[in-house]
Amino acid sequence: MNAPAVVGHPAFDGNGFDPARAEGIGLADTRRHLWTAIRLGWQVESNWTDPLLFFIYTVAKPVASLLLLVFMVQIVGGTGASGEAVRTFVVLGSALWAMLIAGIAGPAWSVLDDRERYRMLKYLYVSPATFLLVLVGRGVSKLAVGAMGTVVALLFAVVVLGLRVDLAAVNWPMLVITLLLGLPPVLALGIGLAAVCLQTRQESWSYPEAFAGALFLVSGVVFPLSILPAPAQIVGLVNPVTWWVAGVRGAILPGGASSVGGAGSLWVTLTGTAIPDAVTTIVVLLLTGSVSTLSAIALFRVSERRARERGLLDRTTGS
Amino acid sequence: MTAQTEQLPPAIAVQGLRRVYPVKPKPVTALDGIDLEVAPGEFFGLLGPNGAGKTTLIKILTTLLLPSEGKASIFGFDVATEAAKIRRIMNMVAGGEQSGYGILTVREQLWMFSQFYGLGSREGWRRVDELLDAVGLGDQRLQRVSTLSTGQRQKMNMARGLLNDPWILFLDEPTLGLDVSAARAVREMVLAWKGAVPGRTVLLTTHYMAEADELCERIAIVDHGKILAIGTPSELKRRVQRESVLRLEVNRLDGGPAVLARLPGVVSAALAADNVEAGTGAQRVAVNLVLRDDSALTGVMAALGAAGSRVLGLRTSEPTLEDVFVELVGRGFADEADAEAVDDAATETADHDAEHHPER
Repeated sequence: MNAPAVVGHPAFDGNGFDPARAEGIGLADTRRHLWTAIRLGWQVESNWTDPLLFFIYTVAKPVASLLLLVFMVQIVGGTGASGEAVRTFVVLGSALWAMLIAGIAGPAWSVLDDRERYRMLKYLYVSPATFLLVLVGRGVSKLAVGAMGTVVALLFAVVVLGLRVDLAAVNWPMLVITLLLGLPPVLALGIGLAAVCLQTRQESWSYPEAFAGALFLVSGVVFPLSILPAPAQIVGLVNPVTWWVAGVRGAILPGGASSVGGAGSLWVTLTGTAIPDAVTTIVVLLLTGSVSTLSAIALFRVSERRARERGLLDRTTGS
Repeated sequence: MTAQTEQLPPAIAVQGLRRVYPVKPKPVTALDGIDLEVAPGEFFGLLGPNGAGKTTLIKILTTLLLPSEGKASIFGFDVATEAAKIRRIMNMVAGGEQSGYGILTVREQLWMFSQFYGLGSREGWRRVDELLDAVGLGDQRLQRVSTLSTGQRQKMNMARGLLNDPWILFLDEPTLGLDVSAARAVREMVLAWKGAVPGRTVLLTTHYMAEADELCERIAIVDHGKILAIGTPSELKRRVQRESVLRLEVNRLDGGPAVLARLPGVVSAALAADNVEAGTGAQRVAVNLVLRDDSALTGVMAALGAAGSRVLGLRTSEPTLEDVFVELVGRGFADEADAEAVDDAATETADHDAEHHPER
């Protein structure tokens, strides 16, 4: 490597020592940091390998998961009207899960990737960008990639599996409101998981999927909460993902089966109503989502402080 | 210093700084009551062996790590409570690591950071291109980071470190793992950047004596978490100039330099840095000797003769920073096994050395 001709290069001319520089420029900075983190996440997600592998992870994986569940339902539930209803329930939930798992696991994977694989976490951390905001941005980009998988899986379900979605019957306001209200808590769960991964070592790589897998069971994704034991139903009812899935499902397939409520369910015992209506679903989503989001932010703040106390931000564990 | 920088608070002010890693079976003290002040515009060096506490100090100053006790500030901003302000006016570059988003191009990666540092989009691209030219990576700007050589990657890291035109630049072993020419390029780059604007401050940690000697206006010698001496390179060297500094070459040295260090009149004896890999069993062993006066040489020769060692060469040397270190610590950098144990323990929680010393 030849020594560069750096002496006197204009790039090294500075801007002086204006104390105002230490203050930053507020909202404009925040917007730029978030957008850059989203872009960085997208670049890392979409660009990390060749298009074929990107296709496999973004398209083939959710479709394969969908097919697996559909075949299981086919075998267990048989055909006929009830079998069709169950299949529709499962297909929609499974397609939505591709997006959910990306949003929930995304920030945690970003922590692990940036710290252990790219070794850039410390540089991101000591930049003026708010660390939490950077992780939210990375989570948004993962969520976007997951959403692509959801859309592809839904199209596949409609075109190949014969899922019937009547666009005229879709409750569009409900769909938009639920989608928007649901995204912050989904990302918040991801931030909470990232807070945990900031503290842990090699085994952390399995945490995001393990947590998401556990959440899968108590979110009414492919079966209603009513078949779970009461304690698990309580977890499901305070879980914003349950209400997000129920809301989106109810909006796309109005009048279809709901994952919340039904005969013998805790919901019926508590409220006396068979299933939650649209407004109730939105209100509970808002409440559980707010609590989850605030809790996740608080947890992250504690974790970040502890990581700084214990020197975990640039720790690499060789995994 | 200019009139503008004269009004600035100290670039670095550290008082009673302690850092203890809570590891098992017993906590490790990485910094043990450090006091330090660096003026704006200084090129300041922290010199010490692995495990001395250099990286821990730089982590605290760059807001990556909180101190256990004591205070530290950068241009008057407290590292514990005003981290956000510090991050806008400083930057850091560490050596000996393969960091970077390998799938991005050099230009993309730097642009991302320019945005985190608050530059506008267009301004960011312009700044990135300027810096890539300045550090000699203009031809690699569209190359993926994963394809860069170690030296090129470190140049890219240097460009990242200069993106925000920091008031203070922290360099943690920036030439570690680089070949001679790449290391020289990095040193030239740092000197050129610092020299371009009065008031720019650099804190360099290194365990390369010559690097510290060449670059730093003042140096603190650290070991086991304490500052043992602080001053300009010539001030530090004068500490040992009153004694005779010799380079002794023998065909063998059973028992190592410790045998000589125990002799009367010998202040210190350490393997010379240029033959540390040869060890004491080699055909030619060079030892740096510091004697209280020349008369002690008679005893050294007698001891060598009795041990069956044949003297191949003997000459007086100008004192080096290593001689200063040996006198202060009682051992050379080559004999740092004990010191490394401290860092090994610390890596249980702060695994710096996994990056910096992968051969371990």
